[in-house]
Amino acid sequence: MSDYQPKVLGFLCNWCCYTAADSAGVGRYQYPPNLRVIRMMCSGRLDPSFPLEGLAKGADAIFVGGCHPGECHYQDGNYHALVTAALVHETLERLGINPLRFLIDWASAAEGPNFVKIITQFTEQAAILGPLGTSEGIDPTLLREKLTLAAVTAKDRKLRIGLINASKEMMKGADFSRSTIAGLVHDKCNKVLTELIGISVL
Amino acid sequence: MYDASISNSSALKAVGAVLVVGGGVAGVQAALDLTELGLKVYLVEKSGAIGGVMARLDKTFPTNDCSLCILAPKLVEAGRDPNIEILTKSELLSLDGTPGNFTARIRKEPRYIDEEVCTGCGQCTLYCLKQIGDDYNENLGISNAAHIDYAQAVPTSYYIDAKACLMLNYQTCGLCAVACQANAIRFNQKEEILELAVGSVILAPGLGRISKEVLGRYGWGKFADVLSAFEHERLMCASGPTNGAILRPSDHKHPRKIAFLQCIGSRDQTCRNNYCSSVCCMYAIKQASLAREHDPNAEITLFYMDIRTHGKGFDAARERATAENNFRVIYARPPKVEDVFDGGLLLTWATEDGKHYYEKFDMVVLSQGIESPDDAEQLGQAAGIDLNSYLFARTDTYAPLATSRPGVYVIGAFQGPKDIPDSVTQAGGAAALCSGQLVAARGTEMTKAVFPEERDISKEEPRIGVFVCHCGINIAGVVDVRAVRDYARDLPGVVYSTDNLYSCSQDTQQHLVNIIREHRLNRVVVSACTPRTHEPLFQATLRDAGLNRALFEMANIRDQCSWVHMHEPEAATAKAKDLVRMAVAKAAHLTALPEQRLPVTPAAIVIGGGLAGMTAALTIVEQGFPTTLIEQGDTLGGSALLLTADRFGRDPRTVMADLAHRVKTHPLISVRTKATVASVSGYVGNFTTTVAEKSGTEVINHGVMVIATGGRPYAPKQYLYGDSDRVMTQLELEARLASGRPLSAKMKQVVMIQCVGSRGADLAYCSRVCCGQALKNVLRLKALHPELTIFVYYRDMRAYGFLEDDYLRARELGVIFIRYAPENPPKVSHGRSKSSPLKVVGYDPLLGEEVAMETDLLVLSVGIVPEDPSLLSRMLKVPVTADKFYLEAHVKLRPVDMAVDGIFVCGLAHAPKSMDETIAQAQAAAGRACQPLDQGSISPEPIVSHVDAELCIGCGACETFCPYKAITIDKEVKPRKARTLTASCKGCGVCAARCPTMAIDMGRFTLEGIRAQIAAFGTETGV
Repeated sequence: MSDYQPKVLGFLCNWCCYTAADSAGVGRYQYPPNLRVIRMMCSGRLDPSFPLEGLAKGADAIFVGGCHPGECHYQDGNYHALVTAALVHETLERLGINPLRFLIDWASAAEGPNFVKIITQFTEQAAILGPLGTSEGIDPTLLREKLTLAAVTAKDRKLRIGLINASKEMMKGADFSRSTIAGLVHDKCNKVLTELIGISVL
Repeated sequence: MYDASISNSSALKAVGAVLVVGGGVAGVQAALDLTELGLKVYLVEKSGAIGGVMARLDKTFPTNDCSLCILAPKLVEAGRDPNIEILTKSELLSLDGTPGNFTARIRKEPRYIDEEVCTGCGQCTLYCLKQIGDDYNENLGISNAAHIDYAQAVPTSYYIDAKACLMLNYQTCGLCAVACQANAIRFNQKEEILELAVGSVILAPGLGRISKEVLGRYGWGKFADVLSAFEHERLMCASGPTNGAILRPSDHKHPRKIAFLQCIGSRDQTCRNNYCSSVCCMYAIKQASLAREHDPNAEITLFYMDIRTHGKGFDAARERATAENNFRVIYARPPKVEDVFDGGLLLTWATEDGKHYYEKFDMVVLSQGIESPDDAEQLGQAAGIDLNSYLFARTDTYAPLATSRPGVYVIGAFQGPKDIPDSVTQAGGAAALCSGQLVAARGTEMTKAVFPEERDISKEEPRIGVFVCHCGINIAGVVDVRAVRDYARDLPGVVYSTDNLYSCSQDTQQHLVNIIREHRLNRVVVSACTPRTHEPLFQATLRDAGLNRALFEMANIRDQCSWVHMHEPEAATAKAKDLVRMAVAKAAHLTALPEQRLPVTPAAIVIGGGLAGMTAALTIVEQGFPTTLIEQGDTLGGSALLLTADRFGRDPRTVMADLAHRVKTHPLISVRTKATVASVSGYVGNFTTTVAEKSGTEVINHGVMVIATGGRPYAPKQYLYGDSDRVMTQLELEARLASGRPLSAKMKQVVMIQCVGSRGADLAYCSRVCCGQALKNVLRLKALHPELTIFVYYRDMRAYGFLEDDYLRARELGVIFIRYAPENPPKVSHGRSKSSPLKVVGYDPLLGEEVAMETDLLVLSVGIVPEDPSLLSRMLKVPVTADKFYLEAHVKLRPVDMAVDGIFVCGLAHAPKSMDETIAQAQAAAGRACQPLDQGSISPEPIVSHVDAELCIGCGACETFCPYKAITIDKEVKPRKARTLTASCKGCGVCAARCPTMAIDMGRFTLEGIRAQIAAFGTETGV
């Protein structure tokens, strides 16, 4: 295990993951002290610009936590979060950033220990990846500039219409597997992404 | 079995007020539930402050949550509720009249300090010359005649101990009167006799203490290092006499070897407390765990007779604690504690195999039991109620909260030894019964809470106040709180920063209001525990200070920081600073948000037609709200119909038949059998449920829902069950015992095995009721055939509470109980032929060898499996535990609420429990469910979406994705624009995340707010 202390930013939904984090505390389950949490009502609130901005502002890794699929407090917000996450992953890949720096996962309100497991593993993995840019072999300053631009790009109207279409097709097809969602997002956003960010730096 | 509501034709109109005797957690919860149901409350408390025993606890099991932290918000809420009149230093003298129209005579002793005037500054204590033992700290510390019980006490007012005060006794001193800047000292105050008109009465006097004489048998009072559990609790507590250090009273050194002795004053005929106190096994585990937290190297030993951790999740918590903390657990009861010359305490004990041991310990903690209150007889007389042989209030299995006197209810420990959640549950149940009894008088005595007008801060620059909480040692034991406070002072927008020992206490609330006013704060950040539990408390304080409640933010530096990074104080402090910085950054972007009031559909749905569901439905309709009862089977009654006798010999089936009849004939209840829930939508106050029946589907609008889906017996595969006619479950035995030919005359020997499928691989949990059921059936068998030989193989005989009487009786009748270890259960095989008696081989710890016996009948005590909750829990978005029981919103203080507002749970769907416990819980669920119905409207948090019409392009994506149809495209206006339907919006924010032009934003969780948090995250801490 690496000695590097990664900076991890988390976006947790109020009803499941945030509650799971609280219950981990009540049970005194210990985990690495690297995570900083932003509470949201639902993981579906995740704007694609948030994780990109987080990395741009200094995070080494971003975690998004919601309710288990099918158990969203607001019916299907976590599915929409998966759509957003797919766009973030695709953007990271195009920037040459290790996609392992971004994770979306689930823990129910009753699953304090599960939350701890997820965060512990994710933090350990982020430590191994090291500071942003290290495992990528790219100058971090340059990378953060690109991420800042990417966060602005995430607010682009055409790109967001692509996300809307991906979300719509996901709901219609009712296939919520990550690979299918990634495919949908790629189909709908590829053109705009290539236009705005490029194919890949690699 | 139920109190009928008071007839309104009587000449006297019922009074819409309730007397609650006792201000512990049960009484306080009852008071809060009552005012929510429209009844005024007189809360009569003997001591100088409400809070009771729970306020003296450091932590609560099984979660080791900080006791005062979860209690304080309730105390504060009770203290600020204009409809709860708290009468301290008071007691009930007599109760005259009839249900609906009681007159209670109350004696109120003087406090000698005017509650209304006292500011709680503490100058009087500082100047008081007379020292007294600190009762709150179990006399381990010193207090003064002029004092307050504890810093967070409600009312936040000092009082003078009349017995000790020099002025009152010798007309000398009087320094406090000089020191008091508020001129609150009143030496001439006299005792008052009050006559209160109330409609009903709830008795919640709490528990009595095991006598000093009984504790003395174990060396307490003689050897300094023998502590009662209450004393140990105070030693562990940050606000205790040693500031949270566990030190031996004799030499102030940390004990290296600690022993916990169980059943002190419980299960003990010599002190006439034959009953089991039900809570000590679990609290000893808690205390031992905390002792371990205090000293990682201490050797900790627990001596048990049986380990009775029968509550929900208790076994799991105990097993984890025992394994993680390396506790030594010994099944033995050391009879005494001896002093040896070099300062150690000598324990001798014999284990079940007859071997004798002795060992020296540094400290011995006595897990003292629960007694009925010291003045139980006096209170019983004053209230005119009957007591049982142990001087607890006498109640009935089928009306567990009703005393012998109509209109007088009993809750908490006075109803029988119990833990906090059960007390809180009973509080809710009794409030519901009062509300049903006084249905016509509800609202007649209420006054409305008034808040000052909100200050318009829209034109002000952010003036943020930061309050960093120590939470005793919960936070400050890990995080450098003062460093965080100082750090916060320099953050942008912060004009004030301070730290509090307990931010949630009542005096701190007043302090907060003062500081907000004094420094003209317009945003408040409390850096403490989790907003999920404490945000409402602080938001109410903001309103008291004239600020909109949306101008509040919390940094969670306890549950998500100090508690999870206990061994990394520096990293935890750095994290706390980061979290505060992020919260402050967000706070700067907070704006005042308008409140909304939404109407409530005054109707309920109860799912499940068993004992819990029927009781809940009746308790709701008695409060005047129509209820639909949905049962998937074709008859009402549920699993209680499997029982043929209770422990008093009555047949539950006749009770169930009566209940079912009352349900079916009640004009406000609509029963749907063979019906299931097809879908649910909406939110508290406005649910829409589709019910599927054979005849088709029906849509029902309702405001609340009670889940009472019940459970069923575990189907065993072990021990030749199904393979031999001689093997049956306890329930099958019950049926047999109620049949015409219960047992063959040839039957000589019966063997019972406990925990079949329970506490192990199949069902991980303890089913709580099986030990009691086995004992009941043992006694029934013995009554039929006194010469019958009965063996019971058990792991821990969990005859909690008064069930211990049955256990004793069974042993007196010669029933033989043999403990088996889970890894070596008894083995059962066929006899010579399939019809011959079975062979049972089991290890007998007394004999130290395997014993083979033949049995005519083998009875298996099987556990309870909940009905599969997966479909319904997903529809309702409520969590379930790993064991598939519904998970309550808070295990201690919201035991019948679900995390989703407006949904409640009771009965076996929540956890295994007995009939009386089920009834009390169903009544509680019904009472809590009626709160929004009675209020008539709800005001949800104003976190709704709003649309910037200039940016909106009318694409309709928001409308497509909104799960609640809470945002629509207004087709009337050209060009088309989206519009929020505030009443339907739940604030999830999917619309905002999908809006192509980012024209939608969310209340409190704004785009700029979150971006500010992200930016603040990136700023270096400078640590």
